Amino acid sequence: MHDEPLLEVRNLTVNLLTAKSAVRPVDGVSYSVRQGECLAIVGESGSGKTVMNFAPLGLMPTGVTTMLSGSVKLEGRELIGLPEAEIQKLRGKSVGFIFQDPMSALNPVRRIGRQIAEMAELHLDVTPRAAEARALELVKLVGISDPVARLRQYPHELSGGLRQRIVIAIALAGEPKLLIADEPTTALDVTVQAQILRLLKDVQRRLNMAMVLITHDMGVVAGAADNIVVMYAARAAECGPVDKVLVSPRHPYTQGLINAIPRREDPIGSEFRGLPGIPPTLGAPIKGCALAPRCELAVPACSNSRPPLVRSDDSAVLVACPVVNQGKAAA
Amino acid sequence: MIHFISKRLKHSLVLLFMASLVCFTLVVSAPGNVAVLIAELRGAVATPGYVEQVAEEIGLHKPLLMRYVDWLGDAVRGDFGISYRTGTNVSADLANRMFVTGTLIAGSAVIATLISLALGFLGAFWPYKLPDRVSRGLALLGASTPTFFVGALMIYAFSVTFQLLPSFGFNGPKSWILPWLTVAVLPAAVLSRVVRVGLEEAMTSPFVLTAKSKGLGRTAILFREALPNITPLFINALGTQVGLMTATAIIVEPLFAWQGLGDYFLAGVRFRDFMVVQACLLIFLTFFIVVNLIVDLAVLLTDPRIRRQWS
Repeated sequence: MHDEPLLEVRNLTVNLLTAKSAVRPVDGVSYSVRQGECLAIVGESGSGKTVMNFAPLGLMPTGVTTMLSGSVKLEGRELIGLPEAEIQKLRGKSVGFIFQDPMSALNPVRRIGRQIAEMAELHLDVTPRAAEARALELVKLVGISDPVARLRQYPHELSGGLRQRIVIAIALAGEPKLLIADEPTTALDVTVQAQILRLLKDVQRRLNMAMVLITHDMGVVAGAADNIVVMYAARAAECGPVDKVLVSPRHPYTQGLINAIPRREDPIGSEFRGLPGIPPTLGAPIKGCALAPRCELAVPACSNSRPPLVRSDDSAVLVACPVVNQGKAAA
Repeated sequence: MIHFISKRLKHSLVLLFMASLVCFTLVVSAPGNVAVLIAELRGAVATPGYVEQVAEEIGLHKPLLMRYVDWLGDAVRGDFGISYRTGTNVSADLANRMFVTGTLIAGSAVIATLISLALGFLGAFWPYKLPDRVSRGLALLGASTPTFFVGALMIYAFSVTFQLLPSFGFNGPKSWILPWLTVAVLPAAVLSRVVRVGLEEAMTSPFVLTAKSKGLGRTAILFREALPNITPLFINALGTQVGLMTATAIIVEPLFAWQGLGDYFLAGVRFRDFMVVQACLLIFLTFFIVVNLIVDLAVLLTDPRIRRQWS
C-alpha cells in the first residue's frame, strides 16, 4: 500500500506573471509524499516553498497569472492542466490547508462554529445539524476546552494558539488525505508552538494523513518530519530522510542552515553564524548554481551550468552540488 | 449594550441642544426686519407705528435669550409657533409635510441601497472587466450629475417622452417613483463605490484565502465571507447619505411639486418666515442625529468586534 505516493511532484516549475514583472519562484523541483508520511520543506523567505505547494492547487492571489509546468499528481491524478472548477472540488476535500497567521486566517465577523461546520456541509454532504455536531467533534479533537461555548464565539475572542487550533479543525473537517501546513507555528508564541506542532503530528498519525510541513524552523523539522526538502532560490538543494540530512548535511547550503542554529554551548554574546551574502532575486533563471556566490566550496565550474539533484554517497539522500558529488566519486 | 445605548442617547441630547442653539442664532442673525415684512404681508401700509406694533406682537423686543428659551420650550412640547406669513400653526403644517418627506427619503434610501449593492457586486464579481467598468462609469456619471438636472431628465424621459409616470404631485406610489429615483441617484453612485472597494479589500484579506482553501466558490466567498465584513462600513456610509437626503429634498420637492419639508423650508427662507425655517432646521438636524444613532446601533449589531467592547 505504500507503493504509490499520495502526492508526487515531478520537475515542477512555476512562473508568476503580474502586469509589471515575471518571476520564477519554483524552478524544476521534484518531491513526493506517501500516506502517513510527513515531508518538511525548508528554505528561507522567498525561496518558493509556499508557492510550490499553493500554486498547483489554485491558491494564488488574484491579479497574478500563474503558469505551471511539470507534473503534480494527487492520488495519481494530474493537477496541472486541470480546470479551476475541478481543483476547487479538491480543495478542502482531498487537501486541507493550515496557514501561517491564525490571527488573520479566520473571518472576523462569522462565528467559529459556522466556519467549521460550513466545511462539513460542503464536503461531507450532511445536514446542517450533523455539520454542527461534526464541528463540535473537531473542536474536541484539536484539544480545545469548553467546546460548546467556543463554537458560538468569534475569532477575536480567542488567543492565537486557540485560533490556530480552529484553523486546524477547519482543515480536518473535510477529512482530507493530505494536509499542507504553511509555517503553522511561525506566528505563535514559543510555548504554544510546541503544543500546536504536537497536535499536528498527533492528528496526522491518528488520521493517517500525509502532511507537507512548510517551515524554516529546523527544530520543527527534527520534531515532526520523516523526509525533508531543502529549498534555495526556487530550487531543491538537498532532499532525503530527516535523520540523515540533519545529522550529516551534505549540501553547503544545508550545512550553513544547520550551522546557523544557535547552540546552548555558544558563549553569551557570541556572533550568529549566518551565511554570508544575500539570496539572489528570482527575476530570471540563474544559469549556474544559485548558491555559488555565497559558497565556500565554489569552483569556477559552479557558475557554468545548473547542478543536477543526484544521489550522494548515501543513496537515500539527493544533493544538487557538483563539488560534494565529485568528492563522492573520488572517495 | 444598555450602557452603549444610554451613552449614545446622552451624546445625542447634548448634540441636539447645541444644534437648536445654532438654528436659533443663524436665523436671528439673518439680515432684514421681520416686522416690516409681516406688516406688508398683511396688506397694511408699513408705517413705523404699525411695524412697531407687529414687532411687539411677535415678541421681537424681548431679549434674545428669552426668545430662545421661549422658542425651545415650546418646540420641545411640539409647538413651533405661528407662521409669520400665513398665520397658521407651524406644527399642524409639519405633520403632513413630514410624512411626504419621510416617504421620499425612505423610498430613496431603499432604492439607493439596492442599486448600489447590485452595481458594487457586479464590479466585484468581474473586477476590471466590462461589468466593473460599466458600474464604475455609472457611478461617476451619477455622482457628477446635479440632482435638479437628473430630475429634469427623469421628467423628460418618463413623463414627457414615454408618458409612463406623472411628473408632479403626491398621489400614490406611481407618483412617488420619479422623485425616489431622482433622490437615489447620487447616494446610489457613492454607495456603489463603497460596496465595490469594500468588497475588493475584503477579497484580498487572508481569510478569503482560507475560504478558498475550503473549496468555496467565488460567489459563496463574496456573499458569505466578504459581505458580512463590509456591512458595518456600508451602514455607516448609508447613514451619511440618508442624512444628506434632507438637503436633496429641498431641491427635489419643489421640482415635483411635493409639499414636503424641503418645499416648506424653501418657502420659509424666501419669505423670512423664521418660525418655519427654525422648525425645519431643527427637524433636519434631529433627523440627522437620530439616523446617526440608528447607524451606531446597527453597526454594533453587525460587527461582533465592536459589540464586544461595549458588552
